[in-house]
Amino acid sequence: MTNYFTFLPLLIVVLLLSQPSVLAINTEADDMEKSETSIDIMGTVADHNYFTFFGTKLYLPRLFLWEDANGIIQFSTYRSTKKALASGEFEQVDDAIKPTNGTILVDFSLTSHLIYFWFGLGALALYIMFAGSRYKKGIGTSTAPKGALQNLFEVFYEFVRDEVAKPNIDGEKYKKYVPYLFTMFMSIAFMNVFGLLPWAATATADITVTAVLALFTFFITQFSGTKDHWQHVFWFPGVPLGVKFLMIPVELIGLLTKPFALAIRLFANMMSGKIMIIAILGLIFIFNDMYGSVAAYSVSILSVAMTSVLYVLKLLVALLQAYIFTLLSAVFIGMAAEEHEHDHVHDDHIHAEQSV
Amino acid sequence: MLYLLAGGGLLSFNTGFAVWIAISLIVFLLIMTKYAMPPIMAALEGREITIRESLEAAEVALAKAKAISEDNEKALREAEQTAHQIRKEAKEEAERIRTERVAKAKDEAEQIVEQAKLDIKQEKQSALLALRQEVAYLAIKSASLIIDAELDEEKNKKLVDNYIDNLSKN
Repeated sequence: MTNYFTFLPLLIVVLLLSQPSVLAINTEADDMEKSETSIDIMGTVADHNYFTFFGTKLYLPRLFLWEDANGIIQFSTYRSTKKALASGEFEQVDDAIKPTNGTILVDFSLTSHLIYFWFGLGALALYIMFAGSRYKKGIGTSTAPKGALQNLFEVFYEFVRDEVAKPNIDGEKYKKYVPYLFTMFMSIAFMNVFGLLPWAATATADITVTAVLALFTFFITQFSGTKDHWQHVFWFPGVPLGVKFLMIPVELIGLLTKPFALAIRLFANMMSGKIMIIAILGLIFIFNDMYGSVAAYSVSILSVAMTSVLYVLKLLVALLQAYIFTLLSAVFIGMAAEEHEHDHVHDDHIHAEQSV
Repeated sequence: MLYLLAGGGLLSFNTGFAVWIAISLIVFLLIMTKYAMPPIMAALEGREITIRESLEAAEVALAKAKAISEDNEKALREAEQTAHQIRKEAKEEAERIRTERVAKAKDEAEQIVEQAKLDIKQEKQSALLALRQEVAYLAIKSASLIIDAELDEEKNKKLVDNYIDNLSKN
């Protein structure tokens, strides 16, 4: 825990260095304009085509699938945005980049969120390789597991297996889903925790990432669906004929809302924490612009205190949201993979619901 | 709202980015499920099975040891009882032999005494018989002597007195 408190001064320093103008007492006419640009919340949380590391911008390659004016589809790659603009085939329009002649079909450019997504997967890969080599050597199989890293690995693995997979997925089936659930839990947790680094981007605070993650759960859920699962969707048992037809769209919507809720929940939780911290720290700069540096320094005490509390909360949320995503994935898969051996149990359930 | 949904905005779905994520995740999940996780899962499950089996085996062994120790104790108790029995029997036997011996010795002694008494009686009988014969003989002799010396009264008297003196000496 103490590690995250030590980030705070670092965070302040990074913020101050990235905006040198806030250090100077500034009461000029262009205040309003400056204050708008100095606290760029959206710019901080949005995806970029560069990767920030300790205030240094590393520009990422741009890849475009685009159609030129003649209707020919092309795939172009450039080492950075500047190179793309320098080639003359692309031009800057507002914040975006556009071909001079034609339209972009799909923008395959690498982004900061993708880099952090890969960092998350890479961290998990390293961790898995470390754990795998330990077990291969016999540490943890013939002897007791050694060291905090291996013990922590076992804590997480056994937590996902025994608390997430086993209670929610029927019988011995759960074993099949443990690798998926564990991978999801750990990679989301890594991405969330990486997002706590002051200069880093949170890959999971991106609706695209969470949507893809939720889609994976959706497809795995549907592929592991039993006959009963599909019967519930298309021919709901135990209700009159008319209601059966009524239930089809309801159930189909139900199928789709599950991954939708998964995606939105993770995205919103990660995004909100980030925005909150930027907003609270932003108060310092807003006060600086509005009332001068003395007010800004006074507010900074409150802001830093609140930020430190929020950081603790964010660490909790980072692990909690990874758990919730994994748990709900397991619940959805478990519901679809469930075998109803006794149909009358289900009927009883419906009668009970009707009587209520 | 436009700011959120426009290209690069917070709520915009970026197709190219999604393709990257999907491909990365598919590759990563395949590696994880096919190569990375199974040995770890097997190792941990194997360890759990080993621990469970060891515990069960230990319980069985403990029960066995308990049964064996109980058996041993029982056998020990039985052996003690047997030893006690044997000792008791030996004591009784010894007692019996002793009393028998004593009785026998008593009998023998009685027999010897009896025999001695019988011998004594016989000796007495034979002595009495011999005495009677001697007395008879003496009487006859003394009578003949008396008859021989009837003429001398004084002498006769002296003879008889002598004889009687001699007799009492004998």
